Amino acid sequence: MRYFLLIGLCLLGWSANAQLFTTQTGEISFYSKTPMEDIDAVNKQVGSIINSANNEVAVQMRVTNFIFPNKLMQEHFNENYLETDKYPAATFKGKIKEPVDLKIAGTYTVTAAGTATIHGVSRPVELRGTIVSTGKVLNLTCTFDIRLDEYKIDIPKIVFSKIAEVIKVKGSIQYNIR
Amino acid sequence: MRNILLLCLLYLGATNLFAQDDLMAMLEKEDAKQTTYTQATFKASRLINGQTVETIAKKHLNFWISHRFGAINSGFIDNFLGLDEARIRLGLEYAITDQLLVGAGRSTIEKTYDTYVKYKALRQSNKMPVTVTAYGSIASNTMKTGYTMESGTVMRFNNNLQRQTFMGQLLIARKFSDKLSLQVMPTVFHTNLAESVYFDNNQAAMGFGGRYKLSNRLSVSAEYYYTLVDQASYETSSGQKYPYHNSLAIGFDIETGGHVFQLHVTNSRGMIEKHFIGQTIGTWQNGDLFYGFNMARTFSFEPKIKK
Repeated sequence: MRYFLLIGLCLLGWSANAQLFTTQTGEISFYSKTPMEDIDAVNKQVGSIINSANNEVAVQMRVTNFIFPNKLMQEHFNENYLETDKYPAATFKGKIKEPVDLKIAGTYTVTAAGTATIHGVSRPVELRGTIVSTGKVLNLTCTFDIRLDEYKIDIPKIVFSKIAEVIKVKGSIQYNIR
Repeated sequence: MRNILLLCLLYLGATNLFAQDDLMAMLEKEDAKQTTYTQATFKASRLINGQTVETIAKKHLNFWISHRFGAINSGFIDNFLGLDEARIRLGLEYAITDQLLVGAGRSTIEKTYDTYVKYKALRQSNKMPVTVTAYGSIASNTMKTGYTMESGTVMRFNNNLQRQTFMGQLLIARKFSDKLSLQVMPTVFHTNLAESVYFDNNQAAMGFGGRYKLSNRLSVSAEYYYTLVDQASYETSSGQKYPYHNSLAIGFDIETGGHVFQLHVTNSRGMIEKHFIGQTIGTWQNGDLFYGFNMARTFSFEPKIKK
């Protein structure tokens, strides 16, 4: 009887495990268009997990993994704007509001409500996106805006015209079931 | 046996259950496996006269414009405190990879062309305490033979090989905090033709340098090269005082978008190792100081990111 209990527990553990969709290679890019210069960068090492049992979502990335075509810009971005020595990670933790079952194949429009932390500042946010599920693989795409002042990202006056105050962010994350 | 197996299974199941409770903790565990490299130990590939451990990013081109004005103690009426004249070095450097760059430049002083290679061998990270860069250069003097050096020596070249100086340097730096970076630079160089029989063709020097960030865009930097020349033996054999001194430079780095400006005061007028380590005439005590600046403009040949 005791063994049955133990086996039961183990099975519970395994089945719980199978409900996780994970990746370490999600892509998040941002784009800022100004009259002076277009700035774009992409991070291809975004870690993320969706738990299909309770539809919780977590996203974490290293800000230093954003690759810019201009490396000087990348250095400024890390050193001066995002201060990655102090705040190395950007994260999102939240929950999908819609009662969807991502293990069933289909296309879902979802809204995730939670907390985003960028530059050491945590704010409640709501992200809208689309998830295409095959049952084993999830493809999440989403776009959202980030207001720099909301995350206390200071842009000096001289370069102000170079950097838009609102940055467009695009995410494209493929999860595999684990 | 079966018990142990079950326990193992249970343990696996339990850890999974536990991990699932906090997705963030799981992501952090994954993240901890990555190596974190230290960024921007120095603002530019050049500290003041000498180099830093920094190389530039792949497919980036740096254009360096360096000026050293005349000596500040050369008189106001005669020389406008040195601003009437300048020695210039123009240089280009291009990065083949993120770690390897090649460069070339030309200095007014002794009409010298210099070509160099710089390779960042080790990068400071959470697993490595320092960044180590190797730097090697060849300097070619293209003055007419029989010219008089600043030290008073008349130089005569019999062939082109005698015009070359070879230099090798190790740059070892550590970024101690986001503000403070320090560097040591053991250096050797070989001059094919020494000034006179009393000079050694080979010279060694130990350099020390560093920067301290005052704000995000302004930092103060200093650089000192101690030459390991046996001056006493030079003086006994030649009967003259050794004409050259150690090089000390102090300056500020100011950066804007695509530029780095370096403003400084130094007792060396040369902008390549052969000149500022081997041939520094001025001293700080006498006020033989040269005000100067370096300016770097970076160009990227990296195509825009594909969407």
